Amino acid sequence: MSTAVGIIKALNSGVKHLAVKRFTLRYPEQKLKFVGDGFQFNPEAGVGIAGLRGRHILYHEHCTGCQLCAVACEGIAEAIGMVKVNETWKQNKKAIMPQIDYGKCVFCGLCVDACPFYALYMTNDYELSSFTKSALIYTPGQLAIKPKMSQDVEIKIDDRGASHG
Amino acid sequence: MTTQLPPGFELEKVDDRIMTLNVGPQHPGSGHMRLIIKVDGDYIVSCDPDPGYVHRGEEKMAEYRNYIQNIPHLERPVIHDSSNILYPYCLAVEDLLGIEVPERAKYVRVIASELNRCIYTLYWLAIYGIFLGHSTMFMWSAGDRELFIDLLEAMSGARVTHAFLVPGGVRNDLPANFEERCLRQVNYFEKRLREYEDIFYQNPLLKARTEDTGILSRTDAIRLGTTGSVLRASGVDFDIRKKEPYDVYENLDFDTVVMKEGDSYARSRVPYLEMFESCRIIKDALRKMPKSGSVRTKLKPNPKGGNDEVYRRIESGRGALGYYIVSNNRPEPYRVKISVGSFRNLICIPYLLKGEKLGNMPAVYWSLNYWPVEADR
Repeated sequence: MSTAVGIIKALNSGVKHLAVKRFTLRYPEQKLKFVGDGFQFNPEAGVGIAGLRGRHILYHEHCTGCQLCAVACEGIAEAIGMVKVNETWKQNKKAIMPQIDYGKCVFCGLCVDACPFYALYMTNDYELSSFTKSALIYTPGQLAIKPKMSQDVEIKIDDRGASHG
Repeated sequence: MTTQLPPGFELEKVDDRIMTLNVGPQHPGSGHMRLIIKVDGDYIVSCDPDPGYVHRGEEKMAEYRNYIQNIPHLERPVIHDSSNILYPYCLAVEDLLGIEVPERAKYVRVIASELNRCIYTLYWLAIYGIFLGHSTMFMWSAGDRELFIDLLEAMSGARVTHAFLVPGGVRNDLPANFEERCLRQVNYFEKRLREYEDIFYQNPLLKARTEDTGILSRTDAIRLGTTGSVLRASGVDFDIRKKEPYDVYENLDFDTVVMKEGDSYARSRVPYLEMFESCRIIKDALRKMPKSGSVRTKLKPNPKGGNDEVYRRIESGRGALGYYIVSNNRPEPYRVKISVGSFRNLICIPYLLKGEKLGNMPAVYWSLNYWPVEADR
């Protein structure tokens, strides 16, 4: 008898959820809203600023070509290589800037921690898939572009349940 | 001359009653490990666990990287519990380098660690459900896990491999309005967690499969050196958060969950009840946390460790998790030994499965909270 009651209770607790709102997000149409503009780092305080760790953004006007990001990545993913750029900047005599291979990057953000010149940050852009491996290698020119995103859905929680969208 | 075959490959004689079964290593309810089971009819005569299929050499890799570069690869063994596997590493390196951690950072770490413990436990519960044929449990806990993943994503910026804890504190401060959001989601989750009771833990079908199977007595649990939820399910009140409190656990209000049955049901229920305690810890930590202040002590570039050795351990989702680090005046550690709870609990598989029915194997094996990748390191 108690077995039957237990099974009915279990079924009942599942059936109640038929009326509850959909929990998941309709992904390509709806995208979850993130905090801030991506992970950043303040080298003076030595503390990061919360944000999603997505694709990097490189500010050419701040980059000095010091290679600290590449050194930081050396033992982690070896994703960053320094390449020559056809630009002349007063602070960047060697004219080298990081190029990031997203086939190798693990998005730990320790390169951002390593940059003392406010040049390398991360953005909210996480859709990096491509059809070729070579397209995953982002040159300094590609890294300078600010990503265009429409992430606006917020997670909602009410008495009837939680829902992303 | 007879050739020595590796275990599990010996052929039986045709008239032999005993048959050898290889469960795994390709995931039919075993994870990335193999259980060499000898059965007589439906009953298990002996069981020989064979781990090591996902050995990655984490300990050796750690000897070639400096203390900061070690962070991303050391969390790989348990990506679902990545804050907890980094926690003892950070504590040990802080002892080694003599770093003071700011008060707020300690609370932020505890919150991250407890959120991550819930993520891990829900993931484990999802697998436990699906291997017992309860797909609703899989869907529910995988869905509710998303709440905590969203919180940790807002906190650290990554969904699974956070690399959030560092020697000297945490990588970044909490985002704006995090406290309010965290409290709302944890409150909702507690309400949701109570619904698991009816559909899973009081379900007669689950009870029939797990009660009185794979009983580990209190003395055996201590003698075999088990740890974590397996130990607590056998009636031993041992939780490192209580017994050797690290960071701010001594200021926080929570209880240790202990059950005395020692069967699969108790082992599966202890982590579930611990999620309530985790929620209590998170809420208490949010209340007691200093509202502002630094969260990270600035380190010198490439800090050196001195001639010293240190061992620190914490309570992870799977039991005691410790790091033993030896340094010799270099930026890289000389030796890193990771002592994990999964490997400690592996030893009781042969004891628990002996004499069980083969059908009870998943119920017993998954109740051990065993994570093959962590055990192999």
